[in-house]
Amino acid sequence: MMRRPDWLPFDPGGEFRLGPRVLPGRVWTASGCFGYGLTGRDIKASDGGSPFDGLGAVVTKTITTSPRQGNPPPRIWDAGSGALNSIGLENVGLDRFVDEIIPALRQDRVPFVASIAGTRPGEFGDMTRRLVAAAADCEHWHGVELNLSCPNVAHGGVDFGRRPETVRDCVEAAVAEVTDRIVLAKLTPNVASIAELATAAADGGAHGVTAINTLLGMDIDLATGQPVLPLRRGGYSGPAILPVALAKVDEIVRESGLPVVGVGGIGSAEDALKFFAVGAVAVQVGTSQMNDPFSAAGIAGVFNGS
Amino acid sequence: MTTSDPWRLVGEVESLGLVSSSMYELVVGLEDVVSFRPGQFCMLNLGGGREMVLSRPFSILAVDGNRVTLLFKAVGSGTRAMATCKPGAPVVFLGPLGQPFPSPDTATAGQTAPRHLLLAGGVGLPPLLAWQRAWGREGDLYLFGGRDGGDVPWSLVSEGWRCSVDRHVDVPRNVDAFVGNVVELAREILGSVDDEPRRVLACGPLALLRAVTAFAGERGWDCRVSVEERMGCGYGVCRGCVVPRADGEGYLTACHDGPVLAADAIDWKCFGRAEGGSPPVSAIGCNRPEQDTKS
Repeated sequence: MMRRPDWLPFDPGGEFRLGPRVLPGRVWTASGCFGYGLTGRDIKASDGGSPFDGLGAVVTKTITTSPRQGNPPPRIWDAGSGALNSIGLENVGLDRFVDEIIPALRQDRVPFVASIAGTRPGEFGDMTRRLVAAAADCEHWHGVELNLSCPNVAHGGVDFGRRPETVRDCVEAAVAEVTDRIVLAKLTPNVASIAELATAAADGGAHGVTAINTLLGMDIDLATGQPVLPLRRGGYSGPAILPVALAKVDEIVRESGLPVVGVGGIGSAEDALKFFAVGAVAVQVGTSQMNDPFSAAGIAGVFNGS
Repeated sequence: MTTSDPWRLVGEVESLGLVSSSMYELVVGLEDVVSFRPGQFCMLNLGGGREMVLSRPFSILAVDGNRVTLLFKAVGSGTRAMATCKPGAPVVFLGPLGQPFPSPDTATAGQTAPRHLLLAGGVGLPPLLAWQRAWGREGDLYLFGGRDGGDVPWSLVSEGWRCSVDRHVDVPRNVDAFVGNVVELAREILGSVDDEPRRVLACGPLALLRAVTAFAGERGWDCRVSVEERMGCGYGVCRGCVVPRADGEGYLTACHDGPVLAADAIDWKCFGRAEGGSPPVSAIGCNRPEQDTKS
């Protein structure tokens, strides 16, 4: 067990309160990096642990109202210090999420936050209402994370999530549908001032923000001179973006005061502590969770003393 | 640990050596024993597991207790790093993963098990060599294709394999290598019509898999291919390694639904570009919905 640093104002292990909820831990998995929270349970480790041990929440793969097939491959690329991806929000759609995924998460007792994306503010409200109707009695469902920040979306996305007034409207629409669930806005770093977006989320009534989503990135295959991703650009994540994410979280905490769930390049307990140091109340593990299914559980284990 | 459940284990490099001019054989010793079925793969990373941002997938050639043998070529940053490993270097292993090749006894009920035709290209050899070692029988046909004689791991394909080379260069004097690709070699051996159906198993570059699928289709033979795709996680959570479904209903994943897939489950018209290849005109041109750059 890691000794709690003197400067840390809270115990990084154990449960904590965020808005109307008490979550079982401060280490979560990031959206898109651990599926719907139903895969990986069969993976074993020599110490007998599970990839789900000690997780505060699994933030599910982002759900849209209708199913999406996603983008053509290749969708993922190791760019050396980080990973590029262009998945295209492939997902089963809200109906199957409600009918199949939520019951399975409930049965497996997985603490989860549903990531949702829409193309207009009202859609975030409509989707949240469906989730409340389906899971209001599920004690493991802690709330929604609004995906406002995917890069280069034809019908929303960055231009959508980069406008403070739109961020506020989306949050407001979701907040109007919940009473005892968290609404988090996941923010794009691809703006001049992320704090403005966080302030807009606060104005809409968000319980916190998740920061940061991927940076817009690109790589070139020198054998062909062509982009490595079919759609040229994608989301850049992984160790390389940790300092960027820290700076953005620091900016949000100092300028908006809103609780921040920090994400970006975290792969160790030490990485997570850096986010706590700048004021994050919880952290998410993304790319590292893809690389190692025990990444988040391992960090949680360090904090929990297990 | 006798089942094929996936394990995340640490270990270290035991040995690394060349088995052809460009193909490495890597043996890693793990902290515990594992088992696998031919066609399954593992994800491997170096150092403490974070030396590569994303672990790399490798078909498993052999397992002996806690020792796992893999083959690879140094084609990118990750495999180039692996090619410089020294014995004792730490590794992190996740596996076995994915769906294996069918065993011979998975024939349709009431029918005799079919004879098999195995076609491997380059580093597509390990799962098929593992299959031969586990289940190979009299009457099966094993074919390996390489660029030239130096590209062929002769020591591994010495028992029962016939080889094709694109260029008849560096071929050992005592070896009979067919000049052409591996599907042409199959045609040469089997003639225009084989006397009884075979099940075809293939692994290798996309062009090879396409040609094999067409060949099997001409004869109406059951064909299973092990697909190579860039992977993010290897265990089914990131949806990074997708293969277009033949029915047009989205994508299969190479890591979870595959890597071994029925050839007729794949939409070959839309199935990707070669590694590091040209712009994905074929993929874009498939009119599959929602092609934007959302991540």
